Amino acid sequence: MEMIVALIMVPCVAALLMLAVRNDKARDAIAIGFAALIGLLSIVFAGMYLGASPVYFELPHEWSGFLSAVNVAIDLTVGVFVVCYAVRYRRLLPLVLALIQIGVCLWFELTVQHGVHFESQMRVDQLTVIMALIIGIVGSGICVYGLGYMKDFQAHHPEQKDRRPWFFAIMFAFLSAMFNIVLSDNMAWIYTAWEVTTLCSFLLIGFTKTDEALNNAFRQIVMNMLGGIAFQIAIVYAALNGLPLLFSEFLTAGSASGAALFAVPVALLAFAGMTKAAQMPFHTWLLGAMVAPTPTSALLHSSTMVKAGVFLLVKLSPLFLVFPAASVMVVLVGGLTFAFCSFLAISQSNAKRVLAYSTIANLGLITACAGVGTPETVWAAIFLVIFHAVAKSLLFLCVGTAEHHIGSRNIEDMDELFERMPRLARFMMLGIMCMFIAPFGMLVSKWATLVSFSSTGQVVLLILLAFGSAATFMFWGKWLGKLAGIAAHRESEELTVHRTEWVAIVLMALLVVVCCVFFPSISSMFVEPYLLSVFGSFGATIGMDNLLLMSIIVAFIVVVMFGTLGKSKKKIVAPYMAGITVDSNRRVFKGALGGEREATSRNWYLENVFGEKVLDGPATVITAVVMVAGLAISAFAAPGVSGEVSLPMYAQLTSLNENWLATIIGIIAFVILGPIVGCLLAGIDRKITARMQGRVGPPLLQPYYDVRKLIAKDDVSVNTVEGTYITFALVFTLIAGGVFFAGGNFLLCVFLVTLSALFFILAAYSARSVYSEVGADRETLQVMAYEPMVLVVAVSMFLGLGVLGGLPTFDVAGVANTPLPLIVACVPAFLGLLFILTIKLRKSPFDLSYSHHAHQELVKGITTEMSGKTLAKVEIMHWCESVLFLGWIAMFFVWNNPVSIALAVIVALATFFLEIWIDNNFARVKWQTCLKLSWIVGLVAGIANIGGLVAYIFLVLV
Amino acid sequence: MSSVSKSPWVIHYDGSSCNGCDIEVLAALTPLYDVERFGIINTGNPKHADIFLVTGSVNEQNIAVIKEIYDQMVEPKVVVACGVCACSGGIFHDCYNVVGGVDKAIPVDVYAPGCAVRPEAIIDAVVQGIGILEQKSAALAAAKKKGA
Repeated sequence: MEMIVALIMVPCVAALLMLAVRNDKARDAIAIGFAALIGLLSIVFAGMYLGASPVYFELPHEWSGFLSAVNVAIDLTVGVFVVCYAVRYRRLLPLVLALIQIGVCLWFELTVQHGVHFESQMRVDQLTVIMALIIGIVGSGICVYGLGYMKDFQAHHPEQKDRRPWFFAIMFAFLSAMFNIVLSDNMAWIYTAWEVTTLCSFLLIGFTKTDEALNNAFRQIVMNMLGGIAFQIAIVYAALNGLPLLFSEFLTAGSASGAALFAVPVALLAFAGMTKAAQMPFHTWLLGAMVAPTPTSALLHSSTMVKAGVFLLVKLSPLFLVFPAASVMVVLVGGLTFAFCSFLAISQSNAKRVLAYSTIANLGLITACAGVGTPETVWAAIFLVIFHAVAKSLLFLCVGTAEHHIGSRNIEDMDELFERMPRLARFMMLGIMCMFIAPFGMLVSKWATLVSFSSTGQVVLLILLAFGSAATFMFWGKWLGKLAGIAAHRESEELTVHRTEWVAIVLMALLVVVCCVFFPSISSMFVEPYLLSVFGSFGATIGMDNLLLMSIIVAFIVVVMFGTLGKSKKKIVAPYMAGITVDSNRRVFKGALGGEREATSRNWYLENVFGEKVLDGPATVITAVVMVAGLAISAFAAPGVSGEVSLPMYAQLTSLNENWLATIIGIIAFVILGPIVGCLLAGIDRKITARMQGRVGPPLLQPYYDVRKLIAKDDVSVNTVEGTYITFALVFTLIAGGVFFAGGNFLLCVFLVTLSALFFILAAYSARSVYSEVGADRETLQVMAYEPMVLVVAVSMFLGLGVLGGLPTFDVAGVANTPLPLIVACVPAFLGLLFILTIKLRKSPFDLSYSHHAHQELVKGITTEMSGKTLAKVEIMHWCESVLFLGWIAMFFVWNNPVSIALAVIVALATFFLEIWIDNNFARVKWQTCLKLSWIVGLVAGIANIGGLVAYIFLVLV
Repeated sequence: MSSVSKSPWVIHYDGSSCNGCDIEVLAALTPLYDVERFGIINTGNPKHADIFLVTGSVNEQNIAVIKEIYDQMVEPKVVVACGVCACSGGIFHDCYNVVGGVDKAIPVDVYAPGCAVRPEAIIDAVVQGIGILEQKSAALAAAKKKGA
């Protein structure tokens, strides 16, 4: 109990002290001291309640009344505060909302609530522990970061009055309110803290008091007070109808009885959670919040505010299983928000806006997971919360520091940051990787999301997830590329970064790495006990062997990135400029038309496809309609499916390949056989191509000769890291092949292939040659084009195996256990895979990023700057990829008859021949066509195959 | 035969030629001559190429370009001058802007004269170039060993 009081009160004391202290040094010392104390307290707290079943704390009755009074007082203060601001700045809407809030609060307190007592007021479970750790460590870390940042901020904005005491006071108050939300069990108290966070973020967003800041602050308060009032009405409704007012009792009673009475408060609470979690159409407040100083953004995005919204939704998730109307509303809004915001992020060049859209998108995913409400989805949701908190705070802190040193938060200006701010750029890259790529946490959580959506047959969500994830790759990949560019001999600009900023950044980076590496432990120590206490079952959907493999790869990447990267004895040469190079660092050259010109390259923003002008309107309308419909249906029609689980299907996931030995043998076999078979395939390809063109062609082993020659060439490179990146790409392709042919998890294989593609792209970007950048851009686009279809294949395989009478599993070994080949159930997915295979095998008409033909207009695309051994590795990687992708094709034709393997091989070879024929008979298309066709094929195949299978399972099998 | 001889990748640059030799170079890649039989590929990227085919003479405008392409090529590398203009300046040798043959800009390993040079002669020159490439490759390997 003392711990709980301490967690809530210590930040309050810190806030008061911040107000009192005016001296810089004293403030630094006190803030650091208190931040450390809060962090320590949360760790001790976690240690005390680790693994315990939920603990309730009773308060003495005489206290209960007093605390409730304090609570009401805080409620009213918040209301009055908003009223004052609204009057002062003449804003009508906030005024009205605040008055409604005050009115409801007073009426409720005086008539309904009066004299009601509770047996317990505080509750600690494992989710609370996780949230407390996030708030305590990440939140206070951001406060420390703010110390240095705000000094620079004040120096950059001399016209602003020094109001830093106020700033830090609110930051600490915020933490206190967050602790209150996660620890309280009394709904009225949660509501109070809820409103305090709204007010705090209002004050922080409007901190600079410019017109823009004030507008955005008021937008925030309007949207969040709508949610707040919904929360309030939910409480009033519950009280008037005799429903429990303790949150834990409310949840258990609601999910056990499924009584219709719960439908309204559940929908209202879900609405409140979604406004706070900035779900569309309420996403604009979080975008507007970007005007605030960066520590504010970091705090709002990672550990507080929006996390309160998803915390509430995750808590509500058991109820969503019982109330389909609310569930569908939350699921659809979350899913649409994820997809739309991921698309919108592509069109942004302002780093903070990219981060904001990505936050909203990820919150959408968490919301959708919570909305489905099975243990598996909640498992994924909690991990998304954890990883989002650490990675996003790291990114915000990095962007903030970069902004103060390069004078811009535009991604275009972060060119060469790898050299200008070497440490900072590496931390930023770590944060970005953690956000979107396996083996880092966010992607592993997304993996779990995909699995759990598949096992519950969420067709719409699966499609939205597939396309949203593909967009995610695009916008993170190109940003990462900008950072990775290296030009020789730039001076380091990071010598003047404040020490407090470094401390916070390093802390966040450590958290990212620790969370990724200890993913399996976090699952078993925190998340699974929580799920056990709420649902009575574990929710883990990813086998322990795969989690461990991921951990190992994370450790490997981090060690190399921060340890050895940049130490190489290679000869360094300048990039190729297709003219007379004048200055390769500035990329100035003399072209055929004479005169010096500078080559520039910008990221792709695809504004005509994914711009705010295009997508904002439809997205807002659709999500608003879904929300209104969801609320209306909850209020008036069909509330609650009494007591029974409302899911149309719920396939139990099985995992076949928990065997380390098989994976290792598979990897070793693939390392040896993959290149041999791939080399022969490449030779056959060239031979057949020559014959199709009426030539004799090279010897069958020509690809092998080429690679041997390349290895014998001199070791030169445009920079010291390119070769390392390519080695990574090759290694990950080999592991992916090993995992696949050992019968391992198909999704793991897909994610490793994507990881390999990312490192290939990074290598090209790092060269900072315009030609390889164009190639890299196109490669990124290609990944975005084919990714949805690949995920559709995975999901179709999972569902198809179940329908065909095998075990529903993502393990490739599963296909050998079914009485019929996979193709019987997955024709659309197979055809879709055939289509994107052309992209993956780098064949015309989709060989945009590089090809084996003599397309010379872009030199050699992504491989332009690669030579010698590096190019040899690329070739070997390409061989192995060919084998792997033909393996994917073959997978459709294997069943529990050993002879089928021969058939599968024949089909794979026939497919390869078909690809060569296509390669020789089609001209290369524009990227627009490539993207459009691949996405249409992915969408149609996805809806047809996944939708068809789910409908079949629902109608015929269940 | 070492590995380098089985996979000579070429890059082709046109100096100030009349385009006669260029057409012959491309003719060598067509099905009739099909130089890919010997593993020869036209790369268009100096960083990937082993053999530098230059047609036409060197002039004041392009001398720096030729030098740059040569410098960008990774060792071991060989230069083949295709056609009489590339060998010596040919009929353009006394034009006001012409410097002369390719060897005025970079070291040339094989000369393939002719106006225009015939595809057979180009193939022959490249095969000779492969021999030189092998020597250079061996020398590079020896130097590497010594260095290491």
